[in-house]
Amino acid sequence: MNLNIITYCMYLTITALLIIKVGQRCYQHGNTFVMHLVPGDKDFCLRINNILLIGYYLINIGYAVITLSGWSTINSIEQMIESISNRTATIICILAVLHYFNLFWITKFIKNIK
Amino acid sequence: METSKIFIGYLIYLPIAILLTYFVSKTLFKNGKVFMIDIFKGKEDIAIATNRLFEVGFYLLNLGWALLILRINRNNFNNSYQNLIEILSFKIGGFAMYLGFMLFLNLYLFFRGRKKSKQSQKISNQGLSNPTSA
Repeated sequence: MNLNIITYCMYLTITALLIIKVGQRCYQHGNTFVMHLVPGDKDFCLRINNILLIGYYLINIGYAVITLSGWSTINSIEQMIESISNRTATIICILAVLHYFNLFWITKFIKNIK
Repeated sequence: METSKIFIGYLIYLPIAILLTYFVSKTLFKNGKVFMIDIFKGKEDIAIATNRLFEVGFYLLNLGWALLILRINRNNFNNSYQNLIEILSFKIGGFAMYLGFMLFLNLYLFFRGRKKSKQSQKISNQGLSNPTSA
């Protein structure tokens, strides 16, 4: 079997697990967080959180699938580890930046939205 | 034979980097909970939630960076165990220093949050006490 296809399978499983896990965690704890910032309006908080979650899934899954097209040919297991780690790292770094940005953005501007 | 040494290097580097991140963030956020409870004035649920959010961010940032610097360049690698040890020590040492820097950054954020919450508490206390004294 082609090494590239095995790599794609591993990459997709890893990123899917990662994205879903982080999304769930942020949604769960973010709910408490937003609820504290906008006290007394449960519906609004839930809506904001849902929108954030959907945007997050769209950006990350879209990016993960798009980057599949640009892989170089893989000849050995070392190259496989290298390329998987490199791509996963890019996604994780994007996630981290988005996460911190979201935290900052929510605390700063949530009062103005309402 | 050349590639297999690089492979051994990856197998050594990955567990060390992941375990290092795990232990650092465990220590930081076990103690960070106390800070958070202090910042949010004893409201435990929001304190724990914020702590978890910061933890997720910390893990993402550090694991992402660890994976990003994993790659060993084949052109600079002259196929000896000595060279492998040198490269690995450079990578792991650099990563540990990066982790330390991130730790202090997070600690700074905690202290800043504590200071801000103390200030706002003071202002609200003054606001409360002024009308009664006037």
